[in-house]
Amino acid sequence: MKASQWIWLPAAVISTAAHATTYFSVEQVQRAIFPGASFSATSLPNAWRASSGGYVIVDRVVGKHEYITLAVGIHPNGTVKQIEIMDYKESYGYEVREAPWRAQFVGKSASSPLQLNGDITNISGATLSSRHVTDGVKRILQVYETSLKGKR
Amino acid sequence: MKRARPLLGTYVEIEVAGLAEPALARAIDAAFGAIARVHRLMSFHDGESDVSRLNRYAASEPVIVDGWTAKVLEKARILFDASGGLFDCAVGHELMRSGRLPSQGLGHVESGSFAAVELLSDNRVRFSAPIAIDLGGIAKGFAVDRAIVTLRAHGVREALVNAGGDMRAMGKTARTIHIRCPGLDGRAVQAGLLRNAAIATSEAAATVMKQRARLPAPGSHHAYSVVAPTCLLADALTKVLVQTQDAHAGYFARFGAIAFVTSADIAEVRVA
Repeated sequence: MKASQWIWLPAAVISTAAHATTYFSVEQVQRAIFPGASFSATSLPNAWRASSGGYVIVDRVVGKHEYITLAVGIHPNGTVKQIEIMDYKESYGYEVREAPWRAQFVGKSASSPLQLNGDITNISGATLSSRHVTDGVKRILQVYETSLKGKR
Repeated sequence: MKRARPLLGTYVEIEVAGLAEPALARAIDAAFGAIARVHRLMSFHDGESDVSRLNRYAASEPVIVDGWTAKVLEKARILFDASGGLFDCAVGHELMRSGRLPSQGLGHVESGSFAAVELLSDNRVRFSAPIAIDLGGIAKGFAVDRAIVTLRAHGVREALVNAGGDMRAMGKTARTIHIRCPGLDGRAVQAGLLRNAAIATSEAAATVMKQRARLPAPGSHHAYSVVAPTCLLADALTKVLVQTQDAHAGYFARFGAIAFVTSADIAEVRVA
């Protein structure tokens, strides 16, 4: 094992308001969850049916200080196949991004990435809870049950 | 390539470079798989986890655990001894009493210490007193380490695994690390450059104090960080630093670690 390296930097306070990362576009996350499948629209603007069976549903979760877009892949039998975070953005009230979020999917091909600019990364601190994401996944599964299950 | 998934009750981000995309994607999937395995084995909330089985039965009879769980318990024992009992995973009773952990099926549990944990041969574990353990102060770091090992086994040489602020870097890249400090809403303090090492940070509010510990002032706006060769060590040693407030204690150097406290008033940043 190489010795661990740590080099002190001058302490400087930096805003994390622009702390944002984009991991996936819709098209990329579809391919990552159901490799090789093609996707067709459903009655919901934020859900797609995989040609191999199953669905990808994208939703947004608002936490205490974070905004997260997540994609849930659902097996044909209704169980969760995979959960991926598509983007993560911190906000401490400097900006509120509550534009009609789902509208961005309407009439669009699934290939446009959700553009967010990344800035600082690698923040060490008391652990952020992902409870909101867990709740978001439950909500997505309810949407699946009521709107998509059993349909073609 | 950078990916994130909700695991270990937080957001785990894995960033890798240096291979073709399909190989990186496979490596990331396997690394998330290793973290999910740690989660399954060591969750207090999951009734089928090793931790839950230990808490229910180990006071009555030896319980066989996974090799990974045995390894974490072994490390927890070393840290318990080295810190004079300040790093103590036998905090289940305290966490249940304060409502931070569920207590179903654990009515028999009393307050105690990790000294009651007996590591027997063949991954068998017995408790000599009716304690309950919570590996929340060490399993996240272990999970990050397993992810790094998994990435390396897949040929990755440049990576950062970040489990909600506990992170480990592998490779030549030096990464600027910022510390999130209570009282600095929306801002972070630039602290240093991390290469081939791990860092973890805790707050007083999130740490269970053993009785003998010197308590930080209520509402204190400090972040307690430890840089160490592995994320398990960094994660666990922050829990000791929170209690002692002493970044110069000998056990940090003994584990190859550097401890420091960041204050909301950065003029007070203290370094070891």
